[in-house]
Amino acid sequence: MTSRLMFRVLGALVAFALLARIPVGFDVGFKFDAALAVIWAFGLLSLVLLTGYVGQISLCQATFAGVGAYTAGMMVSSVHVDYLVAVIAGVVVAFALGVIVGLPALRLRGITLAIVTLGIALVFDRYIFQDHAFEWFTGGTGGWRVGQATMFGLRMDSSTHLMAAYLVLLALFCLVALLLVNLHESGAGRRFRAIRDSELAAATMGVNLTRYKLLAFGMSAAIAGMGGSFYPLVAGSVSPQPFWLFTSLQFAAIAVLMGVRYVPAAALGGAFMAFVPDVLTRYGHGTFMGHAYEISYDWFQIAVGVLLIVQLIALPDGVWGDLRSRVRHARSAAGAVGGRRVKVA
Amino acid sequence: MAAFAAYTIIGLSLGGIFSLAALGIVLIYRTTGVLNFAHGAMGMFSTFIAWQVFYGWSHPFWPGWLSTFLAVLAGLIFAAGMGLFLEFAVFRWVRSREPVVKAVITIGVLLALQSAASLIWKNNQYHLPIYLAPQQWVWVVPVADVPIGANSIAIIVVALALAFGLGAFLRYTSFGRAMRAVSDSPTSASLWGVPVGKVGAVSWMLGSLVAALAAILITPFINFDTTSLTLLIIDALAAALIGGLVSLPLTVLGGFILGLLETYPTIWIQSIGFPRLVALVVILAVLIVRNPRGFSVAAK
Repeated sequence: MTSRLMFRVLGALVAFALLARIPVGFDVGFKFDAALAVIWAFGLLSLVLLTGYVGQISLCQATFAGVGAYTAGMMVSSVHVDYLVAVIAGVVVAFALGVIVGLPALRLRGITLAIVTLGIALVFDRYIFQDHAFEWFTGGTGGWRVGQATMFGLRMDSSTHLMAAYLVLLALFCLVALLLVNLHESGAGRRFRAIRDSELAAATMGVNLTRYKLLAFGMSAAIAGMGGSFYPLVAGSVSPQPFWLFTSLQFAAIAVLMGVRYVPAAALGGAFMAFVPDVLTRYGHGTFMGHAYEISYDWFQIAVGVLLIVQLIALPDGVWGDLRSRVRHARSAAGAVGGRRVKVA
Repeated sequence: MAAFAAYTIIGLSLGGIFSLAALGIVLIYRTTGVLNFAHGAMGMFSTFIAWQVFYGWSHPFWPGWLSTFLAVLAGLIFAAGMGLFLEFAVFRWVRSREPVVKAVITIGVLLALQSAASLIWKNNQYHLPIYLAPQQWVWVVPVADVPIGANSIAIIVVALALAFGLGAFLRYTSFGRAMRAVSDSPTSASLWGVPVGKVGAVSWMLGSLVAALAAILITPFINFDTTSLTLLIIDALAAALIGGLVSLPLTVLGGFILGLLETYPTIWIQSIGFPRLVALVVILAVLIVRNPRGFSVAAK
């Protein structure tokens, strides 16, 4: 058990070390994408916990990220706190909202929960993030501007110190991902999975459904909010657009597409969600056989929709899950042929 | 008082449109077990086809009614084709899967349709003045001095007629009986020789038609773009939930109630987002008061 933990800590450190160097040498646009990829990966990771572990559907994860972003923006712009305090405030507010959203989930499951969370995402998108009545929270039409921000006394705003923000984000992501992987076999993780398999059976075995469902929603919202609260730092300001309903739907679609039960799939999905649209809009224009063409952002969302449909018909466990089972299958087959025994966990 | 009555007329017309949209959702959910989140997006795409015919391809010398007729016809034919395509290309292959998986697939359909429309028609505001009855026909009620457009009455009549027409179709025709049999149990229906595949195809075609009709009828009321019509889904779902995702008459009643509830606050609150909050509160109230397990009737 302990050796497995050591192995995972080592894995997280190696992942951090490899990923930390990747954006170096690229232009500002790609550095921004890298930071954005981690923010989206937090959103997808929140679904790994909520849907993959606990089996609850949510179509409002971008709302949690948005609430984190607005809270952090408000704290920095109007109270001028250190960014660390702003992130903590964003996480706390997102956690609270998650617990509130979890309240109806105590009585609902499956598609009815999907309908309610869709409604919540829509209300935040069209009303709370955009209406005059909530300008104290959203900073009006311009949003909160984060020109100069410091964290641990270091400057790390988007204009000059984007890499510093990226490193902090990545370190936090590796830490949270490691905690989630370990949660899977812990006592709380076993209770979560019991709820996923059968709420009735879990309750019969003495799992406190109210406490663990609310905890799952709160933790999931806090993870999404942690990513979101870095958004003002990375982008320089907050606006409703990145956290609207369609981002929530894309979170759900991409999390399922990549494999909603696997933590590394969240990192894969975050990179997919941040880099592919940017690469498409940068290089996706020119002429082909005399015809000018232009591939816009819309093609990315079409691809997400179509890939999701194909994946759900053909690879129910997601891209990562399918790859994983193929690799394990190949390894055990090789073990059988070569006489080398490979332990299949 | 006059303002109140005028808002009632607007609310009832809006409610008629919500009812239509919700009828399609209930029809598809009952017969195929798919809760269609892409319902608004399907209506949206058909509406843009109608818009394209109305402004893009119709001849300026044609009389107005001919352009309108051809535009609505094109939108509806496209909608029927799209419903059939979705059934044959997607939902036929996932018939035995859990309802949640099917619902997530419709989210993929929603994303693809919305971005395809935004690719073709961009993110501009559109207006499509399609009226079922001439705009000039207006009656004034003597008591409250409220003008009532023939178009509003036409929408309400169409919604009621479709609800009762669909109800009668399900109850009294042999194909309607086949559809109800499939909604109760696809396996035993197929053992009794009910053509399950055909029932699914017809449900998707009808549902898609009704979605297109609802979205086209709402166009005179609003400036629309690719997202606003897609987001009609939440109002349609709220109305469908009032009907328990099963009952057609209750769904229509729910649509009218929701239309009124969303319209009256606009007397005092000028906010485009506030009606969404009303819809959410209605959804929460319905789901928490009623037994949520009651909604898994057709979910196989």
